[in-house]
Amino acid sequence: MRLLAILLFAISLPGADLSGSAVALLSQKCLACHGSQVQLSGLRLDTREAILRGGKQGSAVTPGQPETSLLLRVVSGGDTIAMPPTGPLTSVEVTLLREWIAAGAPWPAATVASRKWWSFEKVRPTAVPATKDPWVRTPIDAFILEQLRAKGLAPAPEADRRTLIRRAMLDLHGLPPSATEVEAFTKDPAPNAYDRLIDRLLASPRYGEKWGKNWLDLVRYGDTAGFEQDPYQLYAWRYRDYVIESFNADKPYDRFVKEQIAGDEIYEEPAAQQGTGFFTVGPNRDMLFKVEDINRVETMTDFVDTTSGVFLGLTVACARCHDHKYDPISQRDYFKLQAIFAPIVKSRVFLTYSLARQYDLQENTRQWKLYDLTDDFARLKEPYVKRLRAERLAQLPREAQVAFDTEEDLRTPQQKAFFEMYTKQVAPKDDEVFALLTPAEKGRLEKIKSRLLSLYSTYGPGPFSPSVTDVGPLGPPVYIPGKGNDEIPPGFLSALGGGDIPPPPPGSATTLRRKALAEWIATPDHPLTARVAVNRVWQAHFGRGIVATTSDFGARSTPPTHPELLEWLAANFVEQKWSFKQLHRTMLLSSTYRQQTKPSGQAMIKDPENVWLSHFTRRRLEAEEVRDAVLLTAGTLNPKMYGKPVVPALAPEELYGMSQPLANAWVVTSDPTEHTRRSIYVISRRNFRMPLFEVFDRPEGVLSCSRRESSTTPTQSLSLLNSDFTQRQAAALALAAMKGDESTIAENIFLATLARKPDANEQTMAREFLLRQTKLLGTLEQAAVELARGLFNTNEFLYVD
Amino acid sequence: MYTSRRNFLSRAGQGFGLLALSGMMQEKLLAATKAKRIIYLFMHGGVSHVDTFDPKPALAKFNGQPLPGSFGEGLVTSRIDFRKARMLASPWNFTRSGKSGLEISDLYPQLQKHADKLAVIRSCHGDAFDHAPAINLRTSGNQFPGRPSLGAWAVYGLGSENKNLPSFVVMSDGAMKSGAGAYGAGFLPAAFQGTAFRSGQNPVLHLASPKGVTPDAQKETLSLIDRMNRRHFATREEDSTLEARIASYELAFRMQSEAPDAVDLTKETDATKALYGIGETMTDDFGRKCLLARRLVERGVRFVQLYQGTNLGDDWDDAHNDLLGSHNKMAKKSDQPIAGLLADLESRGLLDSTLVVWSSEFGRTPLAEGKNGRDHHPYGFSTWMAGAGIAGGRVLGATDEFGLRAIEQPKNVHDVHATLLRLLGVDHLKLTYRYQSRDMRLTDVHGENEFTSWLLNA
Repeated sequence: MRLLAILLFAISLPGADLSGSAVALLSQKCLACHGSQVQLSGLRLDTREAILRGGKQGSAVTPGQPETSLLLRVVSGGDTIAMPPTGPLTSVEVTLLREWIAAGAPWPAATVASRKWWSFEKVRPTAVPATKDPWVRTPIDAFILEQLRAKGLAPAPEADRRTLIRRAMLDLHGLPPSATEVEAFTKDPAPNAYDRLIDRLLASPRYGEKWGKNWLDLVRYGDTAGFEQDPYQLYAWRYRDYVIESFNADKPYDRFVKEQIAGDEIYEEPAAQQGTGFFTVGPNRDMLFKVEDINRVETMTDFVDTTSGVFLGLTVACARCHDHKYDPISQRDYFKLQAIFAPIVKSRVFLTYSLARQYDLQENTRQWKLYDLTDDFARLKEPYVKRLRAERLAQLPREAQVAFDTEEDLRTPQQKAFFEMYTKQVAPKDDEVFALLTPAEKGRLEKIKSRLLSLYSTYGPGPFSPSVTDVGPLGPPVYIPGKGNDEIPPGFLSALGGGDIPPPPPGSATTLRRKALAEWIATPDHPLTARVAVNRVWQAHFGRGIVATTSDFGARSTPPTHPELLEWLAANFVEQKWSFKQLHRTMLLSSTYRQQTKPSGQAMIKDPENVWLSHFTRRRLEAEEVRDAVLLTAGTLNPKMYGKPVVPALAPEELYGMSQPLANAWVVTSDPTEHTRRSIYVISRRNFRMPLFEVFDRPEGVLSCSRRESSTTPTQSLSLLNSDFTQRQAAALALAAMKGDESTIAENIFLATLARKPDANEQTMAREFLLRQTKLLGTLEQAAVELARGLFNTNEFLYVD
Repeated sequence: MYTSRRNFLSRAGQGFGLLALSGMMQEKLLAATKAKRIIYLFMHGGVSHVDTFDPKPALAKFNGQPLPGSFGEGLVTSRIDFRKARMLASPWNFTRSGKSGLEISDLYPQLQKHADKLAVIRSCHGDAFDHAPAINLRTSGNQFPGRPSLGAWAVYGLGSENKNLPSFVVMSDGAMKSGAGAYGAGFLPAAFQGTAFRSGQNPVLHLASPKGVTPDAQKETLSLIDRMNRRHFATREEDSTLEARIASYELAFRMQSEAPDAVDLTKETDATKALYGIGETMTDDFGRKCLLARRLVERGVRFVQLYQGTNLGDDWDDAHNDLLGSHNKMAKKSDQPIAGLLADLESRGLLDSTLVVWSSEFGRTPLAEGKNGRDHHPYGFSTWMAGAGIAGGRVLGATDEFGLRAIEQPKNVHDVHATLLRLLGVDHLKLTYRYQSRDMRLTDVHGENEFTSWLLNA
């Protein structure tokens, strides 16, 4: 219990980064007058050397001696000069500088001033360490083993086949194997059984559903726009389907990048242009304010931040307001990127041109016809509505009647209250009106109904996919706010070679800025693109990126644990034509991946976090995997792919907190067989996550998520234990398992949920459990439901070994 | 990704170390802070400051006239134009209340009796004038969703006092204009998220056993899970995450018995219920919430956030076209309950260690919208705090003579957050969580104008 309390409520404050904080403070308070542009009093404070050298007044800092350092004297009131002129530093800030100088005035690894940073250099050709160790199956193993040896560690033995197939299936499909699949694999005599398993898993469409989900996390995908109204983004799911298809087709990553950033500018095929949905599936900041300009600025910020984070692994957001304090990204660089996106306007891809035109035309006519249809309907009802309303008003207290007779603006608060109280009551419902119609009028009503039905019964989503294009060949001018009228040209980060993007040739429909950006990012020798991509896949398979900060390869990133391996993987990825499936193969066929989860005694002492991979890192199922695994093992999973988002039925208490009326915000899909489809097809509302998803750490879909939390909370247990969802699925499983006596039923439920038979102890335990629960609940079937519900909640079910 | 035992122990150790460091730096101030928990009363929809805690006689004097000169320049809001709209006098009188003579409008006759407890900050300001961004800003320091809320940060920093209840509890009327993100954990682990409590037998979602499952049967099933998990754990003892999950089922079980008890109001005396206005049509609902808040903090819940108003029903925001009606109604519904809460906390000796905060996402325009309405107004508005050693009956800061802009001692949301954390004994500069390689803070890079010393009159 104590352990849990610590786990749940531990305060994980990362170490105070003294040098970083001090340099950041100097940058914020001092560099305007003592920086690279201006050096008042001959003093620069943007490099350590310059600070030690000092200005006209002498050295600014004597490392180790804060009290005699000029810098500290002027900021703490200990000198005739008082700095900064904008107002004194707070005591906390002065203390920070004092501690920093006392510590020797250390400088962070890389700052704007130093432009050499490993991830900004091209990928180096790397030789695989030579080894004849029989453990080494693939180059990955050679790199891993070299480090393990250096740390005095040895790899763990290979996991058994049951473990391997479960691990590989959950990692590639997000679904656990069935007992039959486990049995077939464990009994496969072929020497290459495991290789064939991986090939088979990669060829299945379930692969795209799992890896599509990973990508959707990154691009902050959602089916609604967010904010107060949280309206639907009606066609966002086309982009979701495009992502799933792309992974299943093993679309080369360079092409995937280009389609998403500039599909409209590079490719003719509608299927490729769908990629630009990337810009449309985030929270729609147009919903933010009623001021267009602010919304536009925020939208641009989202585009710059998300694009650089996802494809380049760079957090550039800091440079929106000031030069980046750690990475060589200036504010000017930031707005050069923004100028690339400034011409963007939202658009639609016609998946099939003629069908889309036809759809638009039909829609046009349909709406025109509706104008008259609603008139006709209103005229039919009018006399009855009037009559009923008058009758009901007459029943009300006199004061209330007066309230209804008074004009809205003139009503007293009391009258207003009356009005509100009775408005609904006096308004006749359609059914009440219909009951009064004459036979002739009923005929007219039927005619209206059938006209309406014929208009809408064939309604479906059109052949469109959300996309963007440019407003034209000229972009709107971009300036740095508050820094004059210096128009910022579109271009790339100067630390990565820079360069402006030239204007498009005459006759171009767009600015071609995104095309230039996409092609620049997707070049084979871009220092970041391949490194960032392979590192994300590595994180998914091994629990932690080689660079642990997978969306940040800048100066504040975690240093790579296996730098050479990262180089080799990145180079190999490009050589293998940017194939993700090949990359998975490379990783999953390694001995490193096939290790047991059990750490050695040495590993527990020397490497408790398993940074060096001397064993496999256990993980908990992700939110969607929990739901999908329950559905699959209960036998209710509907494997249908693609299409409109599914809205499963939830209990009213589960829908608590929705910002809009449930009748609009949670329109349950009418076909119940749809409710058990895979989680990736379930609607992703930005203002509301399904409770099961929420408690199991599904991200909110507002910001790009490069790594999910994996928490352990009692609300997870309550949800998986007591929700209607679990109960219904347990009941479905129990029903299917009701063949034979207690022992057989127990065995059936074990086989379904855990893909194995119970051992002798468990057999006894389960049988006795069924007997006792039958006594408590009345029937064996109810007892079987309890057994299924229990096994859904076991760690064996919830974790991947 | 699992957290190994060493990992979280070392992280925890480091965390406590940092808090200790911050403690040394702020020793003097911390010695004076007494708040162990917060009850945050959030008035959803926007309460007019010039009709509640910030009297502006000039509005009566110039009633019906546009703002003079350039007063309205540069201000934008949802519907009205500051250059054209006309001033609207407050329909309510202000009464000098308590020994201190603190001015509180007659919308709050019961609260007036507690005037000497309230420290009113009249100079709050922000820049978000629509509900969702403004609510996000007030609760998380950022107008965009996705950041951890104040409550999440507080329980992340302070931990729990009661393992059998969530440490951050939220009670709302349902639909928030901002969605549930306003009490979310953002990028913090889900453990720090606000748990919505509802009234009735099952305050926490999925607290009750499934229909038809008797307590004995539930116990039986939990015992099966436990035995299966312990067998599984026997060969995996190095992984404390698995142990933590085993414990989470024990915890869930204890919550099943403790949470219903925490919300069982039948154990309160009639006198106490009357104090909160329970049983009266207008005050019953919010009264119950306030009484629940007291029962929860009594049991060690760290942070209770109550919302009054909802997107889909009665709301302070009805002031758009009916200032009089909306504010009469909403104040009536919450006046007695809040006064009752303050009195009850005081009589039980809880007020000294409980901080009560009253706030809204913004104020309302001193100018009229339509004939009898006020629009959203984030440029100057009021918040009050009480309890936890705060010296009450006082006013901090001021808006200009028309109640438009905070001009004296302006306090933005970060200053307020820095102050609230400090009152809990936490230095807002030190409470960080690394996300996307930045050590994120509730106060981002701000919070330099905290006013803890003023509150404590230190």
